Amino acid sequence: MSDPTIQHKPHKHLRTNALPTDPLKTRIVLVGNPNVGKSVVFNYLSGLYVDVSNFPGTTVEVSKASYLHYELFDTPGIYGVSSFNDEERVARDIILNGDIILNIVDAVHLERDLFLTQQLIDMGKRVGLIVNMLDEAKRQKVAIDLERLEEELGIPVVGTIAVKKKGLEGIHELVVRASEGNQSRGLHAELHAMLATVGSQGEAVLLLEGDAIIAERHGVTAADVSRREEIYIDRRNRVNTVLQRVVTDAETGKRIASVFGRWSVNPILGFPILVLILYALYLFVGVFVAQDVVNFTENVIGRNFVEFHIKSWVAQNAATTIAVDILDARGNVTDTGTFRFADGTKADYNLWAAARDYPEGRDAEYTFTYDNPWLVLFFGEFGAVTMTLTYLLFLLMPLVLGFYFALSILEDSGYLPRLATLVDRLLRYIGLNGRAVIPLILGFGCVTMATITTRLLGSQREKTIATTILQLAIPCSAQLGVIAALLATAGITATVIYSGVIFSFLVLVGTVMNHSLPGETSPLLIDLPRMRLPQVDNVVKKTLYKTWFFMKEASPWFFIGALTVGVLQVTGALVWIMDAMEPLVVQWLQLPREAATAFVMGLVRRDFGAAGLYHLGLDPYQTVAALVTITLFVPCVASLMVMLKERGVREGMIIWVGSLVLALTIGGVVSQILI
Amino acid sequence: MQLATMVKGMRGRIERLPAGEIRSHFIRIGLVEGAIVSCMEKLPGGTIVLEFSRQEVALSGDLARSIEISQL
Repeated sequence: MSDPTIQHKPHKHLRTNALPTDPLKTRIVLVGNPNVGKSVVFNYLSGLYVDVSNFPGTTVEVSKASYLHYELFDTPGIYGVSSFNDEERVARDIILNGDIILNIVDAVHLERDLFLTQQLIDMGKRVGLIVNMLDEAKRQKVAIDLERLEEELGIPVVGTIAVKKKGLEGIHELVVRASEGNQSRGLHAELHAMLATVGSQGEAVLLLEGDAIIAERHGVTAADVSRREEIYIDRRNRVNTVLQRVVTDAETGKRIASVFGRWSVNPILGFPILVLILYALYLFVGVFVAQDVVNFTENVIGRNFVEFHIKSWVAQNAATTIAVDILDARGNVTDTGTFRFADGTKADYNLWAAARDYPEGRDAEYTFTYDNPWLVLFFGEFGAVTMTLTYLLFLLMPLVLGFYFALSILEDSGYLPRLATLVDRLLRYIGLNGRAVIPLILGFGCVTMATITTRLLGSQREKTIATTILQLAIPCSAQLGVIAALLATAGITATVIYSGVIFSFLVLVGTVMNHSLPGETSPLLIDLPRMRLPQVDNVVKKTLYKTWFFMKEASPWFFIGALTVGVLQVTGALVWIMDAMEPLVVQWLQLPREAATAFVMGLVRRDFGAAGLYHLGLDPYQTVAALVTITLFVPCVASLMVMLKERGVREGMIIWVGSLVLALTIGGVVSQILI
Repeated sequence: MQLATMVKGMRGRIERLPAGEIRSHFIRIGLVEGAIVSCMEKLPGGTIVLEFSRQEVALSGDLARSIEISQL
């Protein structure tokens, strides 16, 4: 046993890097294992206004809200207070700074969940216990004596069925009654000796349990791991003793699992179920949202209304040339009218009226070309303001909403951990574990969004591999639409070759990275929660928060990306780059010289790149070569920016430059073989 | 025997857990030496779904190979 003599050594007290808090308000912290219904309780207490932000120095999201005169914090789901991963480190600091802890446990999993409860009590916190999912416990014939539990733990207890809003009103009283509970005796004596050093019992417990970060904050050495295991075993035994007095179950330890839950991890039925779910996801996000909804929001609201009005407003007092392209049903230009306003549209009202009436009811596209390069930069064809606005609000936001909605349903139903289990072995070949399936699927929606989601992966190594694969080989939905249309014209052979090349490349890159990067894939150890029907209000709330968080996080990068390309265009650098690329495109890729434009435009928006190939009259094999190149080529500027932020500039640039080189190489090889 | 060699439907008692943080985590969720587990599902490649005290937990094959059990 290690001797806690550290209190005699010189030490320091560093502030924890917690969230900004109001010193005058009492802080309530919600704490619980994953999937115990914490978010339902948080939503019940928080009301409408919730502030979601990254915990300082981490990428873990933390929600904060007001409840009565208290500050209410949500924490990530954890199995105990320690520093094993980012989520735990964040939860630990919020708990240490909290005044009242509301601990939510799953009635069916008391054996697992009360470990955390006892740890919170040992930390000397004022705790109130919410025993949730009493309905499920009843169904599984587990009887829990809540009064006895209160007595044993020494803290107030309420029973709830949160999803049915039953018993939640008891939480208000729980906040007032929350108290310090019965601490493990052996530990208590040792803690007293230590309190002089660290000032709080919570930190003293963590020091004894060998928490290196807390030790560093106080400039002392943490106790070693064997002491932690002793304390943990003690605590585990105490929990088991409490449970023997509190819980009576008719059948011992037999779990009633839903049929669907079992099937979804069955080696034979699991994959057909996965295919069905992916197909439903495709119908909802890929067809309904990406085509029907986005067509309306992007073209009708975004381009023809919002952008048009902004551009005409700018044109009022600025020298402008307006081109009106008349389009036929297939989107081809049949007629163009050009109108010149040397002093702005206000100065020549009749001409402006003529320009507006020119289409005479036909489909038309207006192009505003301003003489002033600054105006072009912000409001022109690729204007940083106009394009970003349409792209973000009317193309990306509906897609992100749709994806997060579907993801929230899958998440709340309990399917995602089962999916991770099912594909774990397959992803292991490319150096990832089952959890990586979520960012990889999201990538087909928006690579930028998926890149942010790689945060949930366990190690830096996995984040690097997943980000590389996303940036390289996963086409986002905007690009997929155009690719699908081009492949439909090119035929089945072209489609098979294209898919084959991209898929083998994905596997190849993953395998090579798996073998060349130092370290090992972290093992999958994942709790499979009960399958439940998702609650509509919870799903909606989650979708809105996640979308808001994404928009907040990604919007500036889209703006900066558009501005960068705008600058290249205004300064003439864009033309220079295209000219420079020409020999590569014509000789090596064997494509028409105009394809260079498509590649560069792919930088702004991946779908622009692919769309630029439409009118080049490519034969099927040229189509394959061009699509392979453009898929692998570059992510859009926004996803590049987010990648640089998530992975750091050095690693981000390596991935980016690597993807440029690989895209041109693979595209060229495909072209040389086929043509 | 290794946990990894369990087949679907088999029951066993945990004899030895790997050391380190993962061991602390196992203690927290109640998977300690002496706990009774049953194998609910075994996927090709070794990923295993365990059931113990009403919990269902999935472990990858490499982790399952580091845990010793005795068959019941």
